[in-house]
Amino acid sequence: MCATEAAESLLRSEETFSACLARINTIVLEPLLQAGKPTDENKGKDNLKLLLLLNDRFRALWDLTEENHRLLKEKFSISPSLCLQDLYILWKGDLFLSIYIHNELCLVDWKPCSEFWKTHKTALKQFLADFTSETSIPVALYTVLHKPLRDHVQQYALILTRLSEAIGKCPDQEVVTSVAKQYAKLQSFISQVLDEACLTKALWKSLGNKLTEWLCVPERRLLEDSKNLPIFASVGRTSRVLLFDDILVLIQGNNCQSFDLKLVWVDGSAICSSPIPTSCLNLLVPLCPQAVWQWKLNQAVRQALNGKRDFPLWGEAGEGSEPPFHRCFKYVFRAEGRFKNAAYEGEWYWGKPHGKGTLKWPDGRNHVGDFKEGLEHGFGICLIPLLSEDKYDCYKCHWCEGKMRGYGICEYGNEMVYKGYFNDNLRQGFGILENPSAEQPFKYTGQWDNDKKNGYGVWDDKDRGERYIGIWQDDHRHGQGIVVTQSGVCYQRTFHVDKMVGSGILLLEDDSVYEGNFTRDLTFVGKGKLTFSNGFTLEGTFSNKSSQGLQTQGILNTSGDQQDASITKVQLGLDEFPVEKRWQGIYDQFLDFLHSGCKEEMEESFTGFHIQTSKELRKSQEYLFCQRGPEDVSGKIEDVLEELVQHRELESLQCYLQKAFKSSLHPLGKLLKALTFAFQATYSGIGANKHLLNMAQEEVKYYAKKIWEFYQGLLHLALEQKGQPLAKTEDGEKRCDLNAYGVILPLILPCFYPELFMLYMLYHEKEDDLYCQGIVDLSLFPDVKLLEFLDVQKHLWPLKDLTLTTNQRHSLIKDKCFLSATECLQKLITTVDPREKLEILQKTYEEIESTVSRVVERDYKLPMDDLLPLLMYVVSRARIQHLGAEIHLIRDLMDPTNEGGMYDFLLTALESCYEHIQKDMRLHQRESWYVSRDP
Amino acid sequence: CQKKDIVCRFVQDHFDHNISPTIGASFMTKTVPCGNELHKFLIWDTAGQERFHSLAPMYYRGSAAAVIVYDITKQDSFHTLKKWVKELKEHGPENIVMAIAGNKCDLSDLREVPMKDAKEYAESIGAIVVETSAKNAINIEELFQGISRQIPPLDSHENGNNGAIKLGKQTTQTTRRCC
Repeated sequence: MCATEAAESLLRSEETFSACLARINTIVLEPLLQAGKPTDENKGKDNLKLLLLLNDRFRALWDLTEENHRLLKEKFSISPSLCLQDLYILWKGDLFLSIYIHNELCLVDWKPCSEFWKTHKTALKQFLADFTSETSIPVALYTVLHKPLRDHVQQYALILTRLSEAIGKCPDQEVVTSVAKQYAKLQSFISQVLDEACLTKALWKSLGNKLTEWLCVPERRLLEDSKNLPIFASVGRTSRVLLFDDILVLIQGNNCQSFDLKLVWVDGSAICSSPIPTSCLNLLVPLCPQAVWQWKLNQAVRQALNGKRDFPLWGEAGEGSEPPFHRCFKYVFRAEGRFKNAAYEGEWYWGKPHGKGTLKWPDGRNHVGDFKEGLEHGFGICLIPLLSEDKYDCYKCHWCEGKMRGYGICEYGNEMVYKGYFNDNLRQGFGILENPSAEQPFKYTGQWDNDKKNGYGVWDDKDRGERYIGIWQDDHRHGQGIVVTQSGVCYQRTFHVDKMVGSGILLLEDDSVYEGNFTRDLTFVGKGKLTFSNGFTLEGTFSNKSSQGLQTQGILNTSGDQQDASITKVQLGLDEFPVEKRWQGIYDQFLDFLHSGCKEEMEESFTGFHIQTSKELRKSQEYLFCQRGPEDVSGKIEDVLEELVQHRELESLQCYLQKAFKSSLHPLGKLLKALTFAFQATYSGIGANKHLLNMAQEEVKYYAKKIWEFYQGLLHLALEQKGQPLAKTEDGEKRCDLNAYGVILPLILPCFYPELFMLYMLYHEKEDDLYCQGIVDLSLFPDVKLLEFLDVQKHLWPLKDLTLTTNQRHSLIKDKCFLSATECLQKLITTVDPREKLEILQKTYEEIESTVSRVVERDYKLPMDDLLPLLMYVVSRARIQHLGAEIHLIRDLMDPTNEGGMYDFLLTALESCYEHIQKDMRLHQRESWYVSRDP
Repeated sequence: CQKKDIVCRFVQDHFDHNISPTIGASFMTKTVPCGNELHKFLIWDTAGQERFHSLAPMYYRGSAAAVIVYDITKQDSFHTLKKWVKELKEHGPENIVMAIAGNKCDLSDLREVPMKDAKEYAESIGAIVVETSAKNAINIEELFQGISRQIPPLDSHENGNNGAIKLGKQTTQTTRRCC
């Protein structure tokens, strides 16, 4: 049989088939369609739909046949012999197959309306030779519609098989053979579909009424029944298993459970389906299902997921024949539990939400984010509507096994915003709660425990203009606390459930100090001692009857001998809040991150979001479902650690750290940022109170220490991961010098400098004022006068530096001598780094020395007897406004290894100049002070 | 300026004076061996002028030893020395080691302060006493070694220094404004 012969037989077959289809159309379908319209019952409607569908499919098949017929005819009209390429059926096999499959499925589903046909029996007789009056109408119809199709498919298969036999071995044979096989399969599929329909029908009859009612759906087909093919080698607790094309049903007695096939996972050892992640009703059968069952289940699942039937053959393996383990679809949870009635749309794995997904409850709650093994895990955004209003609480947070844990931001429906850490769905650890827009705006920065303020924290009451710095317990001020107010008043008390108890110390803005009991509006009550800034004390019992002012009975001591200069500068909080107990919540998270091995996916949960503004965070819905942009790649923790290892020499380390501190992605940068928030919450604004200087100062130093510790931890980890534990004695000594003071403090100081320097200025305000007056007085002196006044030896006067115009005389020149040194010293205020400030001081000295050496025309090593007056000259000419604050800031924050060394000496020299200028003038000042006080 | 001479002599007699930073003749450092240890002297000069007297405490606070220099050819310099000793006793650090240096011993012809007076006085206050000549480098080394021996051993971490090097903060005090 050659191609031409095959084509001829095909042509013939198409011709007859086409004619047959045309007859079916006119005799069966057209009358049906006309009659089908008026039915209005539900069942009828379904049937009509099916009929219309059938009609469409039928037409598609008819068109295809006609087209094929036409094409073949055309070919024959051109030339009498055809080659394989002309056989349309071979190359468009898939198209043919799918059209036939659709037709078959449709035919099987359709339940013809018997009533109608009773009147048309005669018409049917034309098709069926053996049609008798006993034959039921439906069977007759099936036969009418099916038989031509089956016969035709059989014919195709036959022709193709013969063709493949005839053409012998050649590449084309394979094609022909495979197409022939496809048609053979189609034949078996047609019978399979019919078998399934029959089996299903039989099942509905055999099952109890209750079960049938529950399970019977028109399109549903039974694929396998454990009665026919036992599912397990040994019998499990389940008595019967039914596999349909959309569900898996377990029957135990009169009860049954059904599982959506999309939710069924099967492998060699288990079947798993869990419609309710939180309940334990999972069908997890640990026994091996028999291989045939396993295959059938997998095929059914795959078809259910694809949403279309095909006809796989047993044993067929390879790509696409197994359903994917990771799936994506929507499912509504029905069983009891937290997820009841919630719809989950997203990724699944082994019967559980796993990956990205959205969970929506009917009450409006929803959760968008990462899931793991059926629970919220990773970053997620959860909206919880409030009952009363059209508002909701919005949690943008890290989750762990279904609960909030780690860093998160919560925007509450009542306008409050919490940024901080959670554990077990509760606020825990460091956090900031703010209510900026409310009538009584407040801000709490501090420790949380069990969803309440607990531990050290700072509360800003913006309405009252008060700040509480101290210990909290269960949302109440409880324990030691400091209150600073807008007016500059500041006190320290013991609190008991928000009430002040016992006596405390009240520091008034005029430097008088009251020790005793007083009320919140600062009225003295009971026994107390008032120390005025001039040293007078008043000790007695105070009372304050309404509108009669302060009343007291006590002793006024005007001797001033009890004056303790330090009391006006008393420092609060140092013993009550040891620096290592402040902001533990921040350090803990970062150290925990370290101890957990710095896992990339945990980074954000421990160290907070890198998104800097809340505006950006609002866009995080988008961020959730897209991969992070390329700019974020540099923030990966692996890269951070890798880079860390490469920058260990002092200079590159400083460079690296400086960059890290500025980055909102780097863990070190995040730590610094968090500490900056904490610091500003305490000491900025009304927290700028001189009585808090030491607290602030030791806190900054402690930050440096902790950051250094954290850096070291990161470095150790990075080296460990590279398999080079840090145990090198050769650079151990060097490392020692690179301590917190030397490396970290100068780099982080800019973050805290404005607040810190403000505290120093306030603390040294009086001294700086005196010093400034001294400077002003000295500035009246011409250079020569000042040098003389300060007892600078005449041979050191740099008069040859002065170039005079005709009208000038040496004695009247001002601000010309030691100009280079003066200008150098003035740079002191341009830097925040204590070390740089000290270097400026050293350069100032060098400038003095070089000027002197030029004057005396030889190397001159200045002894202190010469240096001090000269330095005093330079200091008074440099006119640095807050020199006292500068000096003490440098002294407090400089590297302690400098102690006793050259920098210490220079700083002491500067300080002694400052003191001298201040005290020298203080004498004048005192006189004038007494005069003005005398009248 | 004799105190300056003494210090300069002390520092310059050794090889390492170039390594350590100095502030003219006002601040110098020198490391000397003492037994098994090394003592690093951080030598702070103070201004001797009367008008700056009140600033002196800032310089001697925290120091481990003080060297007070007088001129054996000038009796009144010995009186001033006594004032300094008194101040150090009253306001100086506890356990400060005091050393008295009678300088210009090369000019014994012009001596006004007898050696015996100085020794008796030093004994009464428990101070080291030597007569030195900065000019001829007499007893300078001995002076500092004497101090070195009297410095109590410090805990190595006390001054943030590690290993064998000990850091004793030394202050040189002089009574005389000029030579």
